[in-house]
Amino acid sequence: MPSPTLPMQSTPTMQSTRTMQSTLTTPRGAGRVIRVALTMLLVAWFALPFLPLVLWASADAWSFPSPLSTAWGVQGLEEALGFGLVPGFDRSVLLGSVVAAVATPLGALAARALTFGTVPFPRTVSALLLAPIALPPFAAVLGVNVLLLRAYVPPIVGVVLVLVVLALPYTTFVMRAAYGAYDLSYEEEARLLGATPSQVLRRVHLPMIAPALARAAFLAFLVAWSDYIVTVIVGGGELVTLPLIVAGAAAGLGNDAAVAVMSLGAVIPPVLLLVAVLTLRGSGRAAGGRRRRPSAPPNTTSAASSSHPTTPGASA
Amino acid sequence: MSSIARRPRRTAALALAVPLLALTACAAPESSASTAYDDWDAVLADAEGQTVQLWMYGGDDQGNAYVDDILTPAVAEYGVTLERVPVTDTGDALNRVFTEIQAGRSDGTVDLIWVNGDNFRTGKEADAWLCDWTDLLPSMAATDPDDPLLQSDFGTPVDGCEAPWHKAQFTLAYNAEAIPDPPTTLAGVLDWAEAHPGRFTYPAPPDFTGSVFVREVLASVSGGADEVPAAYSDKAFDELSPALYDRLSELAPSLWRGGDTYPANEAELGQLFADRQIDMTMTYGPATLTDLVADGTYPPETTVLPLEDGTVGNASFLGLPANSDSIAGAMVVANVALSVEQQAAKAQPDVWGQFTVLDIESLPDDDRALFDALPTSPVVPGYEVLSENAHGELAAEWVPALDEGWRTGVLDR
Repeated sequence: MPSPTLPMQSTPTMQSTRTMQSTLTTPRGAGRVIRVALTMLLVAWFALPFLPLVLWASADAWSFPSPLSTAWGVQGLEEALGFGLVPGFDRSVLLGSVVAAVATPLGALAARALTFGTVPFPRTVSALLLAPIALPPFAAVLGVNVLLLRAYVPPIVGVVLVLVVLALPYTTFVMRAAYGAYDLSYEEEARLLGATPSQVLRRVHLPMIAPALARAAFLAFLVAWSDYIVTVIVGGGELVTLPLIVAGAAAGLGNDAAVAVMSLGAVIPPVLLLVAVLTLRGSGRAAGGRRRRPSAPPNTTSAASSSHPTTPGASA
Repeated sequence: MSSIARRPRRTAALALAVPLLALTACAAPESSASTAYDDWDAVLADAEGQTVQLWMYGGDDQGNAYVDDILTPAVAEYGVTLERVPVTDTGDALNRVFTEIQAGRSDGTVDLIWVNGDNFRTGKEADAWLCDWTDLLPSMAATDPDDPLLQSDFGTPVDGCEAPWHKAQFTLAYNAEAIPDPPTTLAGVLDWAEAHPGRFTYPAPPDFTGSVFVREVLASVSGGADEVPAAYSDKAFDELSPALYDRLSELAPSLWRGGDTYPANEAELGQLFADRQIDMTMTYGPATLTDLVADGTYPPETTVLPLEDGTVGNASFLGLPANSDSIAGAMVVANVALSVEQQAAKAQPDVWGQFTVLDIESLPDDDRALFDALPTSPVVPGYEVLSENAHGELAAEWVPALDEGWRTGVLDR
């Protein structure tokens, strides 16, 4: 099963993007050693759980007390294909993409409104936006499903709706961090120079928030990618995604290799996305305007040290 | 795992759902109204073009493959599209039905559920099943109307609210490499376990399999299955259960890890057996044993243990929710699944190895030949051997009482 908790690997991308490494701040001596060691430890911490998965995925037989698999082979892959790995994978990618495509712009709109003070009672609204994280999904989903059924919402639309609501806290708060460091004067300057609102959006606004949008979309994708309960109950079986297939197989006996293969398969898209998000970072700055900016790069302390965490995963 | 709908882990949700059902003003669609069919041709005509969603436990790859590759093409000939929805727990499917009924939807997405026992009873109490429809199925003619397993599902009368699909027999299996001289009675199994500390255990009730095992021990310590009344009464429970819990408490120190901990379910028990940490396992779905030995999960010497006292048997069924939007299509699927060809194909050990619910004795010769020609599994004997001296399940009310008694009388002792 892909773990429902959101990974925090994206943290380093958040704050270090805009601070330029100068010779004054590069770590030296003991500090450098500690920093490198900590990084290695963290990498190991994230990588270790995959080791048994890789071992199991290629194990045709592995019985106690042998420390390693007693027969290697591709039986796991064959079984996984039999459980429906490929169609489930495709449906999951599609669902994650749709949820990300809806939840990201909505989160951006909400975040912009909250940041630039066009919302009354911003604290209450922020708390409301966070609420879906606090609710136990099972209870919420059972309740909301009755409403969706009464309203004759098609099951697949219902799944997307509910998952968008569950993804909104993450997208909103990632975008709030971005807008906290966003300088409106760029937009004003562009307007003074004769740009239309749509030109400002396309040429100034979007390029500047592109990295944050990518991070938000990544998190929204993950919410849908790893969901089981909403897809089962609201989807009413119309949408058999990868988590459903993995959970079904994991409930059986002798499916360890197949489950390991499917779990590895489930890890690949998020990892690819993460790489894509990391490569996007900073490209937004270049697009923000070729001229030297009047001010230094936006001061990250004003954005990052405000009360909300930059990684939603930390609060989940 | 097996054909059995296990106890839902979401009992709380179900417990909530049932009273809510009673409260909601919008009643469930009248089942009598939806069984508007009185002849099979009308069903066939309506079924054409319908899509049927069969919700079933998805952890058995043989079962999945059978439905996808053999049953689905067979119903396609009637213009019915069959889609399999895998769930980890049959309770998920019931929850979906309850929610739809609560919302007053008569165009439900769940058309068939592989079900029996507790889940069937819960659905029946909530009027979630379509009833009195199985007599319409032409294939029903080949079943034995007096077969007790098809009349009552764990003590709940079937009443035509579900169509039979296959039979299962509670089975113990052992690693013959480790046990050259196996016991022949359940009492003997317990004695053997005490003579070989750490080599035997059973899943902790309320797990389905563990719960069955406790009931088998109850029959054994009571002097036979006939000594335990099928209908539950406090009197019978108070009279019979002390001997059961005494015996199991006495056994506990000889179990795997000294009885400090128990496997949570049949899959964990099977894993211990596969790892050769224990020498005996038990299952309500012996059909899966063939495949588990063939793919190397279980030891090659795995052998079914015949018991003189016999074991408990059950049937599992296809339930049709009353609010399904493809009632005719679902009936066609249930009928095809019950046909001689499908029952024989499904009984092949390398397909699924599930025992037929048909009355083989009364079949025409050429149909009976299909079953007679079935290759024998190297691991699992035929149903007639397994079900020798079989006894029926106790009424469903016994189950929670015995499970709770086990928790206080064995686990906490």
